Amino acid sequence: MKILDASKLSDLADTLAGAGYRVVVPVQDGDRVRYAEWSPGATIRTDAFPVNSAKDFLFPRSEVIDRYQLDGDDFTPLEVRPPAPRTVLLAVRPCDAASLAMLDTIFNWDYEDDLYNARRAATTVVPLVCTRADAQCFCTSVGGAPDSSAGADALLHPADGGSRLILEPLTDKGKALVEAAGGALADGKAAPDAPADVPARFDPDKVRAWLADNFEADLWDLLSYACLGCGACAYACPTCHCFDMQDEATRTESVRLRNWDSCGFALFTKHAGGHNPRPDQAARWRNRVMHKFSYIPERFDLVGCTGCGRCARLCPAGMAMLEACTRIEEEARKAPAHES
Amino acid sequence: MDLAKLRQDAAALLADGRAGLVIGFRERAGACVPAFVTDADQADALVYDDTCIANLAAYLRKPEIRQRRPVALVARPHVMRSLILLKAEHQLQGDDVLVLAVGDDTYHGVLTLAEAERLLNETYADLATDAQVLAEIERLEQMSPEERARFWSEQFAKCTRCYACRAACPMCYCERCIVEKNVPQWISTAAAGHGNYAWNVIRAFHLAGRCIECGACEAACPQGIPLMLLNALLAREARDQFDARPGYDAEAEPVVGSWNKDDDEGFIR
Repeated sequence: MKILDASKLSDLADTLAGAGYRVVVPVQDGDRVRYAEWSPGATIRTDAFPVNSAKDFLFPRSEVIDRYQLDGDDFTPLEVRPPAPRTVLLAVRPCDAASLAMLDTIFNWDYEDDLYNARRAATTVVPLVCTRADAQCFCTSVGGAPDSSAGADALLHPADGGSRLILEPLTDKGKALVEAAGGALADGKAAPDAPADVPARFDPDKVRAWLADNFEADLWDLLSYACLGCGACAYACPTCHCFDMQDEATRTESVRLRNWDSCGFALFTKHAGGHNPRPDQAARWRNRVMHKFSYIPERFDLVGCTGCGRCARLCPAGMAMLEACTRIEEEARKAPAHES
Repeated sequence: MDLAKLRQDAAALLADGRAGLVIGFRERAGACVPAFVTDADQADALVYDDTCIANLAAYLRKPEIRQRRPVALVARPHVMRSLILLKAEHQLQGDDVLVLAVGDDTYHGVLTLAEAERLLNETYADLATDAQVLAEIERLEQMSPEERARFWSEQFAKCTRCYACRAACPMCYCERCIVEKNVPQWISTAAAGHGNYAWNVIRAFHLAGRCIECGACEAACPQGIPLMLLNALLAREARDQFDARPGYDAEAEPVVGSWNKDDDEGFIR
């Protein structure tokens, strides 16, 4: 059994960085905790929920995908080789690791996204089992678990009352990481701590059944009054993957950008002619729920939400996916879906 | 604070049709979140304490909220200033809103906009900028321009362009924000570098003399960017240079948008 002292997680990060990994860990940054590239001296925080999700390192918020040199009427395409450094996502949440199944599917569904795939192939995923959950956690309602190994190449288990960590390799990438960690890990024994108790709060199949019949329900107005239409939820979400393409040019150079986008924005569906098929926030928030709990399950047999609860923790207006889904399930109980 | 009276007033406003919607706060899992009360019998869910910092005046730009006018809002003094300023900028009519006025551990009852304006001027005429924000602004002013640029570059590097700051701000009511204009494009859309710098600074400029320092934008920022350092600095400049006291006078002309022949022109060289 490979173990290390919980207080030596930064030594493990150092060792892996020394072995050539870009080490992504949850660190203190001002008054927030965020996943960031490890640098010596940073403080690793595994006891607070990071504001960003692991997707940042596979699908960055802005990325140059094409570049052209401009000279009068001539233009010359320049080579763009987005970096795909060997990366380890270390001590990320199991709900972040679980999101990769969703992103892998989306970025290879009707088009194989080389940018995502190159980074994904170079990434080793090492989630840390959660021994504590908060009121917004609901992984167990969407098929996850605080000790899930979904998407993981190796799993870190807190052990011996939080004083030690067990590193359990699960795949070849995980084994290579244990190799690279060398002396930062010791052989020994430790007793894994119990994972957090996260009671299941709703059944996504019941939510899906209600959604199938209730595109026009009045409930959407009620559920979305609070939404102010920003992108905080989508940008913090580990599975949201929508993007927008923008061309930006100076006299001498033009770049094509891929930027995150959000169905919460009014402009997301606004047509050039002025018509907006999602005219109000109720239609936009409905899309967010539908996408995660109806369209994605239908198309890929996955739930499009890993229950991390970031959207609720960060929403300045108090919107919450957990609350919406429990409310929908309540509604479904009142008026059962039509048998079809 | 007399919460029972606030709930009772909210219920009465809905029951007798004086308001089509009451926007206040409710408790969820230990946190205070906005509440939308349409039936008198739901008014008991309303709560209020110091952690209820969202500026509910921001909801008045949503068409589905405006449809339910008159809307009654739970409003602390800063939020009342937002309402007065929205009226001054012709975004509200006097009878569009009622105020469930809270402040300094007191519930002041149901007020019209005109009554809220009077209350502000009589009781809350000197809402000071947060002392910590002022101290931090002073610290930044002591820095060299290079140090200060580095400070802001680090802060703005965190910006994901989620626009939660804009969404949380009642004064960001433009139907198409400058950051989304692309003919011509004024601000790079990349959530990085000069685009982030330009976005955050231009938003602050657009609030010069209009920010009532409620702090909702900073509280909304998922990344913890200290936006109030920019907004409070510009509020101070607008106050010192132009006597701007936004949100105390529903007839006042906005500082940026009015011209006075006595304005200082010393900066034009």
